[in-house]
Amino acid sequence: MTGECHISSLVVHTRPDKVPAIIERVREIEGAEIHGGAEAGKLIVTLETETEHQVVERINAIQLLDGVLAATLVFHHFEPVQDQE
Amino acid sequence: MDLTRRTLLKTQAAAAAATAANVALPASAQNILTGEDLHLQWSKAPCRFCGTGCGVMVGVKDGRVVATHGDMQAEVNRGLNCVKGYFLSKIMYGSDRLTQPLMRMKNGQFAKDGEFQPVSWDQAFDEMARQFKRVLKEKGPEAVGMFGSGQWTIWEGYAASKLMRAGFRTNNLDPNARHCMASAAVTFIRTFGMDEPMGCYDDFENADAFVLWGSNMAEMHPILWTRITDRRLSHPHVRIATLSTYEHRTTDLSDMALIFKPNSDLAIMNYIANYIIQTGAVNRDFVEKHCNFRMANTDIGYGLRPDHVLEQQAQHANDAQVSSASSFEDYAKLMSQYTVEKASELSGIPKERLEALAKLYADPKVKVMSLWTMGFNQHVRGVWANHMVYNLHLLTGKIAEPGNSPFSLTGQPSACGTAREVGTFSHRLPADMQVNNPEHRKHAEEIWKLPHGLLPEKVGYHAVQQDRMLKDGKLNAYWIMCNNNLQTAPNTNNETYPGYRNPENFVVVSDAYPTVTAMAADVILPAAMWVEKEGAYGNAERRTHFWHQLVNAPGDARSDLWQLVEFSKRFTTDEVWPAQILDANPDYKGKSLYDVLFANGEVNKFPVNELDPAYENREAKAFGFYVQKGLFEEYASFGRGHGHDLAPFDTYHQVRGLRWPVVNGQETRWRYREGLDPYVEKGSGLQFYGNPDKKANIMGAPYEPPAESPDVEYDLWLVTGRVLEHWHSGSMTLRVPELYKAFPGAVVFMHPDDAAKRHLRRGQEVRVVSRRGEIRSRVETRGRNRVPQGLIFVPFFDASQLINKVTLDATDPISKQTDFKKCAVKVVSAATADAGDQQ
Repeated sequence: MTGECHISSLVVHTRPDKVPAIIERVREIEGAEIHGGAEAGKLIVTLETETEHQVVERINAIQLLDGVLAATLVFHHFEPVQDQE
Repeated sequence: MDLTRRTLLKTQAAAAAATAANVALPASAQNILTGEDLHLQWSKAPCRFCGTGCGVMVGVKDGRVVATHGDMQAEVNRGLNCVKGYFLSKIMYGSDRLTQPLMRMKNGQFAKDGEFQPVSWDQAFDEMARQFKRVLKEKGPEAVGMFGSGQWTIWEGYAASKLMRAGFRTNNLDPNARHCMASAAVTFIRTFGMDEPMGCYDDFENADAFVLWGSNMAEMHPILWTRITDRRLSHPHVRIATLSTYEHRTTDLSDMALIFKPNSDLAIMNYIANYIIQTGAVNRDFVEKHCNFRMANTDIGYGLRPDHVLEQQAQHANDAQVSSASSFEDYAKLMSQYTVEKASELSGIPKERLEALAKLYADPKVKVMSLWTMGFNQHVRGVWANHMVYNLHLLTGKIAEPGNSPFSLTGQPSACGTAREVGTFSHRLPADMQVNNPEHRKHAEEIWKLPHGLLPEKVGYHAVQQDRMLKDGKLNAYWIMCNNNLQTAPNTNNETYPGYRNPENFVVVSDAYPTVTAMAADVILPAAMWVEKEGAYGNAERRTHFWHQLVNAPGDARSDLWQLVEFSKRFTTDEVWPAQILDANPDYKGKSLYDVLFANGEVNKFPVNELDPAYENREAKAFGFYVQKGLFEEYASFGRGHGHDLAPFDTYHQVRGLRWPVVNGQETRWRYREGLDPYVEKGSGLQFYGNPDKKANIMGAPYEPPAESPDVEYDLWLVTGRVLEHWHSGSMTLRVPELYKAFPGAVVFMHPDDAAKRHLRRGQEVRVVSRRGEIRSRVETRGRNRVPQGLIFVPFFDASQLINKVTLDATDPISKQTDFKKCAVKVVSAATADAGDQQ
């Protein structure tokens, strides 16, 4: 299948006391990576997915985690997978 | 996409997010790449979606938009972007994008009962011109109309206003913004003599308490909500109170969530006013210096058709807007009826919680920001609701300074910039001027270089009235631009669709996609959207911001601006203006509307060599002059020098927007306060200078019941609204197939006990039935929106489940804005109902 590759990044505002638990949950999400921000309570998360549906699904999943105040998209890029191959 | 590119993109994504969040990343992740490394051309633009007005950076590769990220330099969002902003890179590329004009045809001719066939622009415009001329000749200007948009760019709205009012001589021009914030706009004028908020988004970082009246900001204005949560987390004393008729994402995250019965917000606000008065919290000095008291006419009906029983019973249905001078004593007497017991009984909220809310407003040390959107505005007493919240801020003097801010949010990206400031309402001209004021018309005629007496004085048909007049055969040539009215208007089956298909009427729809509205039209014109044209929007905090054309529209799609200006070439003044005006002004004889409206020496005075060579501008090239600049500068001359000042055109292409009035190059963040607003006279402290006496009006009004409430048969409240993923009517956001799957169809959010009582299971197919119509949908008893017993919530974006077949076309009688938030329905199992029908 010649799909798409979507790369996006989020800032996840968290209640400070819930940060460790949220990091653990986010790590379980496929294609999600945490790049920093734990001290400030604003996690920097990137998502790598095949569809936009998965981006929305993952943002929603993160948003509904206990202690998450807001998960906000910053960057989104998509292009066909075969483009560069 | 190879691994290196993937890693590069991911690094860039993380760096962008870290910058936006002001978070330091490990050194290895800090290299932000330039666009060149990834072969992307980045430019700024405001987001296409809501009234927040976020700045986005748009990445173009090979003539296509492929990437977006929040603009770090944009003060509004500081690099963040919400999930709607994320749709931006795809909204232009839906597979069913319209790329050529379509017309209903039979045997090679236009036919109202024909099938859509592709035609050229010339064929489409020829038929349109023939039909508009026929209607103008047979019935006159009052039978011609246009329904526009708060998503129009500033110059599109301005060009439409000129074409309709000065060209066709009708004020039958209204924007879809009538449905979303007419109540707010009308009340600004009634209270302050000037439209739009006195404060700005900087209030978010200065307030101690946020009170959200009927606004689900966490989902609908997520970026602004981020600014509130930032404030809340970094300042522990800050409190968030949210009032709503059901629980949602925002109530979850609030310190106080107050769930009230529909319409009882009126009683709650009057109770708070009473509390302020009874506890001695009135700021006497402020009130005496800066406020007048007035009493509103009461028993004002519900804006239904005049023969409706509710209108006939109402004492002041015909003079709902009238109010009379009053005094603090009379106002206090009216408010004294609203005891905490009464407010609690009407609203269903416990007394202690109402008191806690009242204290936020009454305590002089607490800076309060009140925020509202559709919950207030789509309200049969929407104007009163807006008045009542201003009353609280005026009684306490908590207004027009950092953190003390009654703030009306908006839904559309240029509801303020285009619908309100340009004045595309049926009663308005640019810069808050009114069509029924002879001085204002004269001023407009002068700026437009048009004969005196040309502009019509009669207020035109507002949105809901346009639908009724189409149905009744009184409005016969009709152009709809940049909105999906058949989906968003109330009671559509009975009041909207019949008018579109009425054989006497000719209906044109300009859109980028085949919406339900487009499919009900006679001619469909393919529109260029967003960065396919040069544009300007005005957001909720008076910020005007611009963007360049970044890509070409597909096929023959053309911007609304090009459509309006090009169409004007097909009419001569002799065909559409009265002979007596032409006899008195013979210079105008034999000219085309294009000549007199657009090639008038003002709009066409900037040559194409003033264009930025880095960007395409199809409209300027088509007409041979910098049409956007000419229209903007002519428009800006309406507001300069009296509180509506806009900066020079070119400035806006350099900056991330500026908040008007822009005086000596400086924007104004807070109006009416000395030292913050250059229009306030020295030594006065504060002046509400929109009114001649420089005072604001505190308006006394009572609680009155809604137009329709649940009864034995129709036993549930219906509330409609949005969900996070789908904005506007879904005409753009549903065009991304994967996203459609994310929230595929509207559902009925229902309390589990209400479902059990009706023997309904989660996921079961049901009919939602009102006295006007019904839809089929599915029951949802879980999820992000949790409704109380006795109330259901249905999102309105789904074209296969038009909930507006069910809603009531009751409006606020003053603002004419529809109440989409309350009517009575019943919910029954679809299976049972089918069996019932067969008996």
